[in-house]
Amino acid sequence: MSIALVSCLMTLIALATIGSPIALSMIVSAVVYLAVKGQDLGLAAEQIIQGLYDSFVILAIPLFIVAANFMNAGTISDRLTHFCLAIVGRLRGGMGHVNVVTSLIFAGMSGSAVADVVGMGKMSIDMMIKDNRYPLGYAAAITAATAVIGPIIPPSIPMVLYAIVSDASIGYLFLGGVMPGLLMTAAMMALNSYMAHKMNVPLEEPVPLREIPAVTFRALPALLMPVILLTGIYGGATTPTEAAAIAAAYAFFVAAIFYRALSFETIRRVMHESARSSASVGLIIGSALIFNYIVASENIPAQVANSMKGVDIAPIVFLLLLNFLFLILGCLLDASTIILVIIPIFIPTVKALGIDLVHFGVVAVVNCMIGLITPPYGVLLFVLNAVTGVPLRVIIQNIWPWVWTLVASLLLMIFFPEIVLWLPKQFGYQG
Amino acid sequence: MDRFRARFETVALDIAAIMLGALFIVFLMQIAARYLFNAPLLWTLEACLTLWLWVVFWGGAFILREKDHVRFDVLYEVVGLRTRRAFAFVSAVALGGGFLAALPATWSYISFYQIKRSSVIGIRLDIVFSVYAIFAVALIVRYFWRAALIARGADPQVLDAREAQDGRAIQ
Repeated sequence: MSIALVSCLMTLIALATIGSPIALSMIVSAVVYLAVKGQDLGLAAEQIIQGLYDSFVILAIPLFIVAANFMNAGTISDRLTHFCLAIVGRLRGGMGHVNVVTSLIFAGMSGSAVADVVGMGKMSIDMMIKDNRYPLGYAAAITAATAVIGPIIPPSIPMVLYAIVSDASIGYLFLGGVMPGLLMTAAMMALNSYMAHKMNVPLEEPVPLREIPAVTFRALPALLMPVILLTGIYGGATTPTEAAAIAAAYAFFVAAIFYRALSFETIRRVMHESARSSASVGLIIGSALIFNYIVASENIPAQVANSMKGVDIAPIVFLLLLNFLFLILGCLLDASTIILVIIPIFIPTVKALGIDLVHFGVVAVVNCMIGLITPPYGVLLFVLNAVTGVPLRVIIQNIWPWVWTLVASLLLMIFFPEIVLWLPKQFGYQG
Repeated sequence: MDRFRARFETVALDIAAIMLGALFIVFLMQIAARYLFNAPLLWTLEACLTLWLWVVFWGGAFILREKDHVRFDVLYEVVGLRTRRAFAFVSAVALGGGFLAALPATWSYISFYQIKRSSVIGIRLDIVFSVYAIFAVALIVRYFWRAALIARGADPQVLDAREAQDGRAIQ
């Protein structure tokens, strides 16, 4: 490790710890690196500009953000909840199941866990705590935990980020997320059943069966979103970036024409919000790309790969250790930073050990998404706290059973790669 | 002053929103041209990437408030006022100083591109990239201003809250 790299990392850690914006801290520490190395300070600007300007795939990100925000602006969350209430509300722990299943469906539309919490969070929680059926902490925890499914079921912004750094196919990554997403859903529904029994939650009044077609019809445009998206990509008709644009256009038309929920003022607000999120995510990506440049020019990925050669480590052990590291880092770092900066360091090693890049990518993304709900630094916990006003302490006290359930699902995916790879293989993935 | 700032923010937000909207529409045009009319457009991709670059840096310069950034603020939120002021002051000076130090080299990188034009539309690339310079200068001004306010005794959390107030109606 060179002196330049050490000073760069120290600057970054110091700035990040005192609460500076991560993206700007990364740019400034890159400048420190270049200064200590005696290189041209303009290289920082060059890397960030070229990184953002040269990648076609990156355009999927603002488009998915626009799609998610239009979906949120409509009355879609409301319709989805009614649909799920009709389908799974009759089971023991019904409202909890409704929460899980709405997140699953919403996941098929948004691609961002934060969008899910903003879109569904307050309403799900309000419904669960009505008449004191569920404790507030339980409702908040299940809402945070189920939002994690969002970026696992396609579309997925974190998987686009992984594709940018690893060159793995976005299409196969999206497909690879489907089964793990369903597995996580099943695991969380099981946990919810168990907890509902323990808390002795009363049964809900079941929605009469004859109302189901009407409720389904009302939710149909929202339910069709993932179908349109996936048919576009896997029918070979569109690239994922184009699918993102079509998804956004579809969301716009559904909200504007079908649900009549968009006024000019709403559109303006949605675009404002989308521009804010795009700028914030864009800066993180750009500055992470400078870091990749530094990491690469210090030859770190190759060094890691070489040192692993000497150890003669089994691929599965390596995967487990790496996942352990990601989980720890996930408690402290933002998910996109881990995906863009930390993961590329290990990609040469992953390849050298013969681990499948799609399998690794999906597992890594699931892992980072669990990081969204692990204290002390769990973005979803903060967002939920901001949106619903439930105190952080209460959310955190109740989050652990959900974290462990998700970690158990993660372990299954690590030990049984077919959970991830089966579906992509059905669509011609060679592995 | 505050009213001027709020007004400026709304305009900056509208501009960002229009650029993002244009990106979206141009992208849809590209898809329509390719799939519906079977006549792919060449300029659309370049236009989208240019707009994307501008949304990110224009946004970073004028519409991202301290709270909108991805930050690790666990420690920042729990420490006492004096420590928090120190944190915020050091952070503002370091960020402003870092961007200032790199500014001359950054500018020479950008202006170097006046000899090159983008391949399809033919805009001079220094103009395309100039948004990064706008971004850098805006951050330098913003963070030194913030440092000055904190040095004169302002509570950074109050500054953040006032910022959020100005951007009312959003979120």
